[in-house]
Amino acid sequence: MPVTAQTDPVQVVRERFPEGVREVKDCWGVPALVVDRADLASVARFLREEPSLRFDYLSDIVGLDFPRRNPRFELTYNLYSIPHRHRLFLKVPVPEGDAAAPTVTGVWKSAGWPEREVYDLFGVTFRDHPDLRRILTPDWWKGHPLRKDYPLGGEEVAFTFNKDEILEQEPLWKEGVGRTDYASFLGGEISEVEKGKMMVLNMGPQHPSTHGVLRLVVELHGEIVTKVIPHIGYLHTGIEKTAESLSWLQAITVTDRMDYLNPPGNNLGYVLAVEKLLGLKAPPRAQAIRVIIAELTRIASHVAWLSFQALDLGAISVFFYCFREREKILDLMEMASGVRMMTSYITIGGVRKDLPEGFLTKTKALMDELPDRLAEYEALLTENKIWLERTRGIGIIGQVEAIAWALSGPTLRGSGVAWDLRKAHPYCGYDTYDFDIAVEREGDVYARYLVRLEEIRQSRRIIYQAMERLPDGPSITEDRKLALPPRGELDKSMEAVIHQFLIASGGFPVPNGEAYVCVESPRGELGFYLVSDGGNRPYRMKVRAPSYIHLQALPAMAEGGMVADLVAVVGSVDPVMGEVDR
Amino acid sequence: MSFDPLSGQGVLFAKLEDLVQWSRKSSIWPFTFGLACCAIEMMSLVANRFDLARFGAEVFRATPRQADLMIVAGRVSMKMAPVLKLLYEQMPEPKWVIAMGACASCGGVFNNYAIVQGVDRVVPVDVYVPGCPPSPDALLYGVIKLQEKIQHERLQLGSLLPVREAGD
Ligand code: SF4
Repeated sequence: MPVTAQTDPVQVVRERFPEGVREVKDCWGVPALVVDRADLASVARFLREEPSLRFDYLSDIVGLDFPRRNPRFELTYNLYSIPHRHRLFLKVPVPEGDAAAPTVTGVWKSAGWPEREVYDLFGVTFRDHPDLRRILTPDWWKGHPLRKDYPLGGEEVAFTFNKDEILEQEPLWKEGVGRTDYASFLGGEISEVEKGKMMVLNMGPQHPSTHGVLRLVVELHGEIVTKVIPHIGYLHTGIEKTAESLSWLQAITVTDRMDYLNPPGNNLGYVLAVEKLLGLKAPPRAQAIRVIIAELTRIASHVAWLSFQALDLGAISVFFYCFREREKILDLMEMASGVRMMTSYITIGGVRKDLPEGFLTKTKALMDELPDRLAEYEALLTENKIWLERTRGIGIIGQVEAIAWALSGPTLRGSGVAWDLRKAHPYCGYDTYDFDIAVEREGDVYARYLVRLEEIRQSRRIIYQAMERLPDGPSITEDRKLALPPRGELDKSMEAVIHQFLIASGGFPVPNGEAYVCVESPRGELGFYLVSDGGNRPYRMKVRAPSYIHLQALPAMAEGGMVADLVAVVGSVDPVMGEVDR
Repeated sequence: MSFDPLSGQGVLFAKLEDLVQWSRKSSIWPFTFGLACCAIEMMSLVANRFDLARFGAEVFRATPRQADLMIVAGRVSMKMAPVLKLLYEQMPEPKWVIAMGACASCGGVFNNYAIVQGVDRVVPVDVYVPGCPPSPDALLYGVIKLQEKIQHERLQLGSLLPVREAGD
């Protein structure tokens, strides 16, 4: 049962480690403890074990690079306590000369991939890490892209006059040709005795299932999966680096393209984080519109998930049913924003434009027919014998394990943990809506399916309430220094033209500071860790992508199962590679 | 192509070249090559509303060996490019490529270290479809354009391989 935190974590740690805690900072409501790396292991263990703290959930690790500071690097461990519902940052400075820190994989299992990511992108090594390899960039890569002295890269746009010059440049990808060694990743680890019995199978990065460019190297004993090693990074896009070169407002567009089943949800997370830094609150109408859009997107994402999951298991007709509803929601998105998918509709200070006429009627019509549609899906699947056989008792992960692997969203709730950020740490006024958290206990693929179906129903409830109470008033902040003026004003007011020009050409500065905001995306805890140096661009944007963290737990769910079930397990986690690889 | 007015038996006279290309263009088998966001719109094109089957191209194959059209739906990373090239080489001739979306065409919004600035640096592209992501109708238009292109490709009767002319 959740206990409200009465204890002040900072105080508890200080009492226990009077020497260890160097400094305490405040990151917009979240305390940050600065500790020496020598003390990291013991502090980490204490934070996890101490009953009044119980930081059992390592959400993410953020690498930061400040070339002019000494020590140059800073690691931020983003810790959360599921029982006490409180958050804490642990900051560990790391000098450039000896860029290394002890691993915390022994304390939190979920530290494995985040540490590899920091190693890959910043070049900080982790002592005693079980498997420290590059994760997002290819293994032949040179340098660490997120260091500030690493150039953004890319190439000039080719015009007639410089076309030849550009095409002559030796393309970087050629480095990788012929290097993809499909079998060696496991081969060495199979003992001589076992060698005859084991088979290594490479799945991906291009394969028939519908989850994008995920590559799994699988070790099989007959049909039993004895080991799974996920390889990711085939869609690494450099979104975090690109965001550093864009103004705060422009960066919204790249967030769209991460979790591409949930673009407005990504916008929302990012925008809320910027608003936190700015100390800005969107007007009530904008809040309600955001809720409507976010929940519509959740439904669109869940039906798309269902169609993919069914498709992977061979039930193709579900795909056609689900895409019918998805298309209707995409039409609504197009109505509101002009685009079907990459809407960038939710923006700093509110939403880009008020809802168009007819939007609410159409939404209501869709919501009214939704129960019938859900009944159709259920008729196809819920009692379907094949579906039950292929999903029940498959890919089980228990409550304790699920928390240790830092799962979130439907994947965590399918394991019986009633943790939903909309309830635990409400944003956009979610605390004023009446809805239930969908939970199932079994922790298998079927449970996650049931959770998602229930979430569609709950989203429908929220949308009704939001439409009913939709307050009048502006849909974006009136502060003209932060929001573009309405088109109509530009014809009449010189001042509006100046504001427009300033925002569009240079953007606006955001006060110095660090803030973390997480929202409940259809996949789980989607967090944005933003650092501002007071300039008009993000100094650092770190995304806590739920799919990324979840995929890490794939071996825990799939090992010991049958190879045919592997695809079912992958699907049930609902990974979106755009978000995994960023 | 023309019907023989004399026989009245539904006999069809045509140049072999036209017939071969006509059958090729009407039964394109695309390769399921979804990379990123664009892939979702590619799936929308296959689904009921836009229904690519009306144009004979709904049989998506998961293996390059059975496919003749690669729709590069999404951004190609430096890590993926060698894989993409390998898969392209595994497709039997004749084969075509559609670069779907801004990223596949030119890198899109991601002009940075990680993304190949246009898939045409890796494999030859027949049709570019602009958009981010292109709507399914836009992609459909791209497929129709490709069909036109296939119809007009010249055939070398000896090998039944299309001949590409210089500058094509
Ligand atoms: S063109 Fe746009 S939608 Fe398509 S892959 Fe690139 S970013 Fe995604």
